[in-house]
Amino acid sequence: MQYQTALALGVVVPLASFFFLALFGPRLGKPKSSYVALLAIGISCALSTYVLVNWLKLSTPERTELTASAYRFDWGTLGSMPLTVGVKLDSLTVIMYFMVTFIAFWIHFFSIGYMEGHSDEVDHVSKYHRFFTYLSLFCFSMLGLVVSSSLLFLFIFWELVGLCSYLLIGFYFDRKYASNAAIKAFITNRVGDFGFILGMALVALYLNTLDLDLAAARFAEQFHKSAEGPAVGIFANSYTLFGFSVASLMGIGLFCGAMGKSAQFPLHVWLPDAMAGPTPVSALIHAATMVAAGVYLVARIFRLLTPEAQFFIACIGCITLTITALIAIVQTDIKKVLAYSTLSQLGYMIFGMGMGAWVAALFHLMTHAFFKAMLFLGSGQVIEGCHHEQDMRKMGGLRKKMPVTCWTFFIGVLAIAGFGLPGVEIGHVKLGLGGFFSKDEILAVAYERAFNIPELKKTDAAADDAGEHADASNANMGVASPFRLASDNQPAQHAETEHSEHDAHAHGDHAQGTPQKMAIAAKLPAIPKWMFFFPIAIAYITPFYMMRCWWMTFCGKPRDHHVYDHAHESWKMFLPLVILAGGTFFSSYQMFRPLIHDAAVIATDSSTVVAIDGEAHVLAEAGGGTMIMLNHAPGKNPHDWLKMGVGFSWLIGMGFAVLVYLRGLGLADKLKRMFGPIHTALEQKLYFDHVYDAVLVGGTVTFGFVCGLFDKIVVDGIVNMTALLGKFVGVFTGRQLDMPVKRGDWGIVDAIANGLAQTMLDIGSEIRRPQSGRIRMYVMITAGSAAVALLVVLNYHRLADGLQWLMSNVGTRVLAANGS
Amino acid sequence: MLEALAFYIFAAVTLVSAIGVVASRNIVRSAVCLLGTLGGVACLYFLLNANLLAAIQLIVYAGGTLILIVFGVMLTSKSPWVVFDPTRGQVVGAVIVSILLATGLCMLLVGNEWPAGTAMTASPHVKDVGTMLLTDYLVPFEAASVLLLVVMIGAAYLARPEK
Amino acid sequence: MLTIGLNHYLVLSAIVFSLGILCMVTKRNALGILIGVELVLNAANVNLVAFSRYQTGAADGHMFAVFVILLAAAEAAIGIAIFMNFYNTLQTIDVDRGDELRN
Repeated sequence: MQYQTALALGVVVPLASFFFLALFGPRLGKPKSSYVALLAIGISCALSTYVLVNWLKLSTPERTELTASAYRFDWGTLGSMPLTVGVKLDSLTVIMYFMVTFIAFWIHFFSIGYMEGHSDEVDHVSKYHRFFTYLSLFCFSMLGLVVSSSLLFLFIFWELVGLCSYLLIGFYFDRKYASNAAIKAFITNRVGDFGFILGMALVALYLNTLDLDLAAARFAEQFHKSAEGPAVGIFANSYTLFGFSVASLMGIGLFCGAMGKSAQFPLHVWLPDAMAGPTPVSALIHAATMVAAGVYLVARIFRLLTPEAQFFIACIGCITLTITALIAIVQTDIKKVLAYSTLSQLGYMIFGMGMGAWVAALFHLMTHAFFKAMLFLGSGQVIEGCHHEQDMRKMGGLRKKMPVTCWTFFIGVLAIAGFGLPGVEIGHVKLGLGGFFSKDEILAVAYERAFNIPELKKTDAAADDAGEHADASNANMGVASPFRLASDNQPAQHAETEHSEHDAHAHGDHAQGTPQKMAIAAKLPAIPKWMFFFPIAIAYITPFYMMRCWWMTFCGKPRDHHVYDHAHESWKMFLPLVILAGGTFFSSYQMFRPLIHDAAVIATDSSTVVAIDGEAHVLAEAGGGTMIMLNHAPGKNPHDWLKMGVGFSWLIGMGFAVLVYLRGLGLADKLKRMFGPIHTALEQKLYFDHVYDAVLVGGTVTFGFVCGLFDKIVVDGIVNMTALLGKFVGVFTGRQLDMPVKRGDWGIVDAIANGLAQTMLDIGSEIRRPQSGRIRMYVMITAGSAAVALLVVLNYHRLADGLQWLMSNVGTRVLAANGS
Repeated sequence: MLEALAFYIFAAVTLVSAIGVVASRNIVRSAVCLLGTLGGVACLYFLLNANLLAAIQLIVYAGGTLILIVFGVMLTSKSPWVVFDPTRGQVVGAVIVSILLATGLCMLLVGNEWPAGTAMTASPHVKDVGTMLLTDYLVPFEAASVLLLVVMIGAAYLARPEK
Repeated sequence: MLTIGLNHYLVLSAIVFSLGILCMVTKRNALGILIGVELVLNAANVNLVAFSRYQTGAADGHMFAVFVILLAAAEAAIGIAIFMNFYNTLQTIDVDRGDELRN
């Protein structure tokens, strides 16, 4: 309870700061309003540190106990569905919370220095306080998102962070491109959120709750019931869309939200444009926290996924990480490079989630948050120091002018490149930085899925043939399964020895506790091989473009003396850089991974999909029984050859970058000419924006034009025809039946006919202009559509029957006619 | 028996005056017909054991809102007898739409099997309604009071004389 | 026919509702539209109170109706203020003339 209170308090403090700044910000003015925001996030950070420190002291069962007994209350009822409010309390929340507050605090600090030198006036009114007001609102929303225990509240905060993102991207709204970028980000996110809402509706409909844990429990319950007897709940619905069952669609719908927020293909287009916002915003929102919220969401809904949904997620992640890394190679704007590398890394995380590498993906999220925030702040320092120059081609040689920025940036580059020396250990600490561990783990799990799951299937089939399916685990052990299971009672050293000996023969007693996990794994679809090789290839490209970015900026000869002379750095801005560099080191090691693993025990306990652990021995230490782990068959342990295959990718990629850019831009230009068309395609971001522009904007315009034509030709034609026809009938009948007594005097029939014609004309001219801005017309159209919809729904069966009758009768007649 | 008689009378008053509201071409006559509808609905509230609500309907609606509308008519027409008529096509279309809508709604409402509920035996005492308003419905009540304040300020701002 | 039940009120409210819509669509006078809205709201209120009487047995429906009446009053006040502005700008109260966002 006390932890929950501390976390809830930490959420509320930035909100208080937001209200305070919104009311008194203008009066506080330039430096003072920033102190309020800094103080607020400082308090949150202190509270989260308190929780984290105490949390670390607890043992795993104690943590599980606290998670299970977390307090929540019923806020209201929606139909028969209670809406619960609560602060989620588990290891994942605690570390995410700490990560957000810690990074946010230092970015606030950085912002004070950054905003000092920026013009912030529009029409002689300072926007300075607004920046910090929005930042406070963002901190509130992001922390709220992290602690929400219910999908509904998660969604509310989700929208709030979207709003903050919109406000901050468009902070320089007097610049056209910034306000356009803000709108683009907002609208692209709406597309994803539409899917999110549909997914939530399915959750509410079939699981009758929006509480994350309860929903997962009911999902599992329905799955088991369906497996044993007739399908129930969501599994009973046989409707499919593009081959996805409703149960899968639920997961995919929820994932659509993540696609928008984490900027995954095909909704990735907004993130590079979002760089129009101030750089601290890019660091906080568009690199470290908000865009990671999508990954966090997938982690939270992991138990609601089905294998197909998981496969879909993996595909999206794989595509995103590949294309965005390729685009990053040719970007020349320093922030754009970082934006595309963020996209690529997010792709890795989403890909990992889709592969079942729950722990690895979140571990990557944590390490990435630190080093990417640092990289962005570094770029902010550079941009600020270089007189708002963002083009790397004009930089160069800044090493001497900004040494601290240069070297902290280099640490970030090493971390993202996956710097490490495979096999070298100092004490128990393996030598490496951030990406070295987390990416390696994701790739290892990808290998599992691509190569070992099919083998597991074979053994499972063999077990089936032997008629020993009843006890899948024993059967698997009997035929020397390539898999081994982790379980609570496995001693750590034991696992270590096995790990080193590559023991192919797993022991039956190790498998106890989670045989069902093996059965689930055996049912997972095998992934295509390219989904393993693409990420590997990109692991070589990442170091290249990051090193290219660093080299072009800080090394070589200065290319623009105006920029070079202006360059400087200030302590207010590089202090956060140094702190975050420390965080990068720290986050790569001890603290985060075991904690995430702790959370995984409950958060991945699914009965449809399975989480795969990439690092066997750490797993055993942390003690979890919900995940299956790596293959240790001789020659098949991916850690062995991944170490050699990818372990030095950082060296190769970075070395190549140095080779290309060692003598300035000359060689790069040559290469550019050599690969002309490819280069152009990448420079144009593979034409995504063009296609969207053509299809969506152009489509709308064309649709409008076609509607206009339809109006002019068809509707007008019908109206005029009707009127003419009416008139004609009127005249005709008048002549024949209703001879006027006097010339020019119409008889009764004439009057009716002409009246009818006139009425038709009136109706026609009304239908012709539905979009006239006339409010009455809108009411009429709304009411009319509602009436028609009502009648159709109520008489659906009668209509359907009638239609069927008609079809069958006509059909028989046609057949009969053909037959004769 | 008496209840049925009362219901049919009040329903007839409500419906006839509602038709009057729609059919009359003059806005003042419409407003007067609306008074009939509001009164008829208030009488129906009495039949439905909602005495307090009926009183509120008469005081707030008939006494307040309707007068407001008549004032509006006075302030926005050069003469109270100005008539804008819709075209014949509009009228025909609207009548068709509303007949369809009424049919659809009736089919929906009457065709549905409502679950067996508990009928109300006596009209709730004013005291009980007041207690509910200040306990279970306190938050909406307060929100409504804030809304009224906003409306007061907003209306005064919107209708201010031109500078 | 002689015992009055829920359905009687529901049919009545459905008809009044449709008449309200009809009123909103056919009146070109802005205040006519406002009157139509009042009809629609009254129809909804009859529904609420009828359900309260025949289905729930509690006074919750009455509460909702009270709030609806309150909102209707607020809406009328704001609506008339807007129409006054409209009239001041366009010198007419015909809503069909107000089909442009700028004047």
